[in-house]
Amino acid sequence: MLANAPRLMLVGRRLVQFVPVIVLATFVVFGLLKLVPGDLAATLAGEYATEERIAQIRESYGLNDPFLVQYGRWLWNAMQLDLSRSFQSNEPVLEQIMHRFPTTMLLVVGALLVSLVVGVPLGILAATNAGSRLDVAVTSLSSFGVALPNFWLAMILVATFSLSWGWFPATGAVRFGADPAGAIWHAVLPSIALAAGGIAEVVRQLRSALIEILSSQYVRTLYAKGLSPSAILWKHGLKNVAVTLLTVIGLLASRLLGGAVVIEAVFAIPGMGSMVVRAAIVKDFPVVQGVVFTMVILVIAINLMIDLLYTIVDPRVALK
Amino acid sequence: MNAPIKLPSGRIDRRTFLALTGAAAMAGGEAKAQKRGGTLRLSAQSNPSSLDPQTGNSGSDHVILYPLYDSLVEWDYTTLQAKPGLAEKWAYPDPSTLVLTIRDGVTFHDGTKLDGAAVRYNLMRAMSHERSNIKSDLGTVAEITASGQTVTLKLKQPDSALPLILSDRAGMMSSPKAMEEHGRDYDRRAVGTGAMKLVSWADNERVVMVKNDSYWKKDRPLQDGMVFQIIPELPTGLRSVTAGQNDLVYYLVPQQKQLIDRARTLGSAVGPSLLCVQAYFNYGRAPLDNVKVRQALNYAVDREEFNKATHGGIAETTSTILPRAHWACATEYSGTFTYDPDRARKLLAEGGHPNGIDILGVGYAEQLQVQQQEVLIEQMRKAGIRLRWERYTGPPTPAAFFAEKKGDILLAPWTGRPDPSLTYQLVFGTGSYFNAGRGEGAPGLTEALLATRASDDLTVRKEAFRKLQKIVTENALHLPLLFRPELTAYSAKVKGYKPNLLGKPKFEDVWLEG
Amino acid sequence: MRALRAWLGGNSAAVLALFFLVALFTLALMAPLIAPYVPTAQNLGNTLAEPSWQHWMGTDDLGRDVLSRLIHGAPASLFASLLAVGVATAIGVPVGLLAGFLGGWVDDAISRVIDTLLSFPGIVLAIGVTGALGIGLTNAMLAVGIVFAPGLARLMRAQTLVVKQELYVDASRCFGASLSRILLKHVMPNAVQPVIVQVTLLLAVALLAEASLSFLGLGVQPPQPSWGGMLARAYNYMELAPEQMYAPGIAILLTALAFNTLGEALRQALDPTRRRR
Repeated sequence: MLANAPRLMLVGRRLVQFVPVIVLATFVVFGLLKLVPGDLAATLAGEYATEERIAQIRESYGLNDPFLVQYGRWLWNAMQLDLSRSFQSNEPVLEQIMHRFPTTMLLVVGALLVSLVVGVPLGILAATNAGSRLDVAVTSLSSFGVALPNFWLAMILVATFSLSWGWFPATGAVRFGADPAGAIWHAVLPSIALAAGGIAEVVRQLRSALIEILSSQYVRTLYAKGLSPSAILWKHGLKNVAVTLLTVIGLLASRLLGGAVVIEAVFAIPGMGSMVVRAAIVKDFPVVQGVVFTMVILVIAINLMIDLLYTIVDPRVALK
Repeated sequence: MNAPIKLPSGRIDRRTFLALTGAAAMAGGEAKAQKRGGTLRLSAQSNPSSLDPQTGNSGSDHVILYPLYDSLVEWDYTTLQAKPGLAEKWAYPDPSTLVLTIRDGVTFHDGTKLDGAAVRYNLMRAMSHERSNIKSDLGTVAEITASGQTVTLKLKQPDSALPLILSDRAGMMSSPKAMEEHGRDYDRRAVGTGAMKLVSWADNERVVMVKNDSYWKKDRPLQDGMVFQIIPELPTGLRSVTAGQNDLVYYLVPQQKQLIDRARTLGSAVGPSLLCVQAYFNYGRAPLDNVKVRQALNYAVDREEFNKATHGGIAETTSTILPRAHWACATEYSGTFTYDPDRARKLLAEGGHPNGIDILGVGYAEQLQVQQQEVLIEQMRKAGIRLRWERYTGPPTPAAFFAEKKGDILLAPWTGRPDPSLTYQLVFGTGSYFNAGRGEGAPGLTEALLATRASDDLTVRKEAFRKLQKIVTENALHLPLLFRPELTAYSAKVKGYKPNLLGKPKFEDVWLEG
Repeated sequence: MRALRAWLGGNSAAVLALFFLVALFTLALMAPLIAPYVPTAQNLGNTLAEPSWQHWMGTDDLGRDVLSRLIHGAPASLFASLLAVGVATAIGVPVGLLAGFLGGWVDDAISRVIDTLLSFPGIVLAIGVTGALGIGLTNAMLAVGIVFAPGLARLMRAQTLVVKQELYVDASRCFGASLSRILLKHVMPNAVQPVIVQVTLLLAVALLAEASLSFLGLGVQPPQPSWGGMLARAYNYMELAPEQMYAPGIAILLTALAFNTLGEALRQALDPTRRRR
C-alpha cells in the first residue's frame, strides 16, 4: 500500500529536487565563508605560527586555488560521499557528524515529544471549551510560551532542577547508543527548555483547526442528530487533527533544530549546533558544508515523510 | 654531567611558591595512601588542536598530551628545573654539542623500542616536516647523529635553552613506525610511550585514554584510564564537577574560587603559573610606535584593581612577563608600572596626544575576557585613553591581530614556555609571529636575546635575562597585567593533585579514593 | 481610546500591548534621562549587590546598576528588532512581488532559492553569517534580516498571485500602465495586508533572535548593555547571584509578548472574513 505508483513518483520528484537545492545551499554557504575577510591559514597555525608556516598551510590546503576550483573539489568529493576532513583537527567530517547527529536528534525528538504530549491535550481542551476561562488560560499560557526566550528558560531550569535540587545533570550529554537511560536523563532539561515554544505552537494550531472543524456545517448537523460532543471529536475531529499535527511537526522540526544551537550552548552539549557554530567562526568550511549538507537532507526527508503520511491519513489529499 | 642546569636553591623564592600551593605540601603527606584504579574524568576547556605534539598549535594541548607522551627532559614541579625524562642524562661536551643518553627498555604503545634512532627520527621530523609547528624551537640544531641509546646534537651556536625545549613539544617522542604508517592521520592516533594509551578522540566532545600496562615508570599509572570531556564554558565545566559528571576541572578562573569554597564537597588547588594576562602591542606603526604612548598605557592601568575585579584578587600582578618566583625573573622590574593616570596623561601629551588618544583593541568575545576588556576601558578612560574593542571568537582572535594586523593592542594570555628565552624570543623577537609589527622593538634587543642562550651557567643566564628585561621594560613593549593562577577543582575522591610552576597540570600522581 | 480599541477589534489585551510598547519606546528614547546611573559606570567595591534603595535591582559583576543597564538595554533590543525586520521587508517584499507578478522562469528561480534558504534552520544560518561578517549588533541583525527575508518573500508572492487575477490589475495593464506603476499602485497596496501582520509578528521573533545572539556573544557588544548580554553574564554568576537572571529575561518575555499580541490583533482586525475567536 505504501509503495504505490503515485507515492513512488512523489519520492522520485523529491530526490530530483534535492540535487539543485543541495548545490545551491552549499554554494551559497561556501561563497559566504570564502568572500569574507579573515585568514584561515593564520587561524590554523595558531600559537606556533610563523610567516613561513602560514604560507605553507595555505599551499597544502589548496587555499591559493581559485574559488570555483575549491568549491568544485569539495562538491566532487561530496558526490562520492566523501565529506573530507576538518581543517582544524583533521577529523573526517562524516565521522564527526555521525557522532553528533544522534545527540542533537535526541534533543529535537525529545522536544517534539514534549510539545505533542503537553500541547495536544491542552489544545483539545481549549478547543472543546472555547471561550471558557480554561480556554483563556490555555491561550494566554501559549502566548507566553511563544514569547519565552528558550535559553532563559534553560537557565532557570538549570538553576532550579540541577543546582538547587540536583535532580538532573546541569551539563553535557551521553551518547544514546552507549547508555540509553543516561542519554535520556541528560536530555530531559534541554528538551523541556527547547519545547516551550513548541508546546505553544501545537496548542495554537490545534485549537484553531479544531474550532474550525467543530463549528463546520457538517459537525453541526451531527450534533443536531444527537451525537455527543466527545463522540464527534473522536470520530471526525481527530483525522483532521492528524493533518494539522503533521503540518506542525514539519514546521517545528526545522525550528527546533535551530533552537538546539542555543540550548546546546547553555548545557554544553556536544551536538551539531555547537559544531556548526564553532566551524563557521573559524571558517572550517569542510565542516560547515558537511553540516549544511546533512541539515538540508534532513529537512527534505522530514517533509517527504510528512507528505507521504498525509496521503495515508487522508487519502483525499491529491497526489499531484 | 647530569642535568647541567643547576639552580642555586637560595635564589628561588620557595616561600612565595609554597604560599601559593598549600595543596602541594598537603599532597606530600598523603602520598603513602596512594590507591590504584578508577577512571579519572576531567573537564577540559578546549579541543586539542592535534594529538601529534609536532603539528599541534595550542598551548592548552599539553595537559592532554602529557599522559600520552613522555618527553626527553622533564621539569621539577616547583622550580621548573630540568630533570631526566626519557633521556636519563645529558651533557654539553662543548658549548655547541649536546649529548643525550636515552633510557633503555622503554617501548612505545605499539610495542616498538625507544632508541637513539627513534629519538633522531622524531627530532628530524620536528625540524623538517611540512606540518611541523615547532621548527623554530630546534632552530639552532645543525646535525643529529644517533648510535645505540646515544643521540648527539651538533649546534649552529651555543644554546643552553635546549634541555628545557626538549621538555616541551619537541621532546615528546612518538613511535616512528606509527608516524610513517598513519601519515597525516597521526594527528589523531598518538602512539607515544606515556602512562596512558589513546582509545578515541571525538572532536569537541571527549578524548578517552586507557592505562599503559607496560609503562616504564615505577608504580605508575595510578588510574585505569582518563577521559577528558571538552566543555568550553568554564562555569559549565565547574558545574559538571559540582554535579558529579566529572572528577576534576582545571584552568578555572579565580572568581570561581569563591564558588568552589562554597560547595563544601569540592577540593581545590591554586598554583602559580607562567600564564601572563597581557596586552600585546603592535609597535610597528602609529600610534604605538611611540614609546611615550606605550608607557602611558602601562601607567593608565590599575593592576591591583584589575586583579580584584577579574581575578578575585588572588593573582600576582606584574610589569614583566615572568613571575617573581621564576629563576630568570628580574624582580627589580616586576613592579615598575604603578597606577598613575596623571603621569599617563603627561606621557600622552609628551608623545603628541594632549587631547587623549583612541586605541583599538582586539579581544575575545568570551564572557570573562569581555569582563577584563570592560575594566580596562573604564581605567584607561580616566587617563584620557579612549579604548574600543573589536571582538572575535576563538582562534581567529589572535590571527586577526598578528596575521591580519587588526587593531593596536590584543588582550590575550601568553601561556609561557619552559625555557624563558623562548618566551622572550617569541613575544618580542624580530620577525616573530607574536610581534605583530615584526620589527625590532628597541635597539639592542636581538643581541640581548641571543645572550640569554649563550651559556649554560645559570648565573650568567640570569644576568643576561636582567639586561633583556631592562630593554623590554624601558621601551614598554607590551602591557603585562598579571599571572593567572592555575586553579583546579576536584571532587572529594580525587587525591594527590599537585600544581606546577608551568601552570599546565599533570595528573600522574593523582589517584581516586573509593 | 475607544476608537483605538475598536480599531484593534475590541481586543483589550492588544490595547495593553500597544501601551506597553509605546511606553517602552519612550523609555528607550529617553533612557539617559530616566536611568538613575550611567549604565557603564563601574564600582568594583560593590559587585553583585542585592537590591537596595540605591540600586533597586542590585548591581552586576562590575558593580554597575542593573536597573540602569536594563533601561539602556531597551534601545538596543528595539533597534535590533526594527533593523532585522526592516532588512527582511526590504528584501522579501520586492522579491516576492516580482516573483508573483512576473511568473515564468523568474518565479521558478526565485521560488527555488526561497525553498533552499527555508530548508535550513534560521538561527544557524544567522550565526554562520554573523561569524563570517564579524561580531556586532548591526551585522547580527543584518544576518537575521536575511534569514527572515525568504519567508516574507514567499508570503508576498502568494498574495501577489491572488491580486494579479483581479480585474483592476488587468484593466490597468490594458491601459498601458508601466510595470512599476502597476506594481506600486495596484498590486502592492492590495497584497500587503498579511505582510504587515507578519512583520509585526516577526518583530517578536527578531527580538528573541537578538537576545540569543547577544547571549552567544555575537550581538550587542559590551560595555553597551543589552538584555541578552546581561543574561549571558548572569549565567556565569548563576550560583552566586541567581537573581541577576530574572529582570532581563522578563523584559525580553514581555516585549516579545507585546509584539505578538499586537500582531495577532492586527491579523484579526485586518481580516474581516475571519470570525473573532
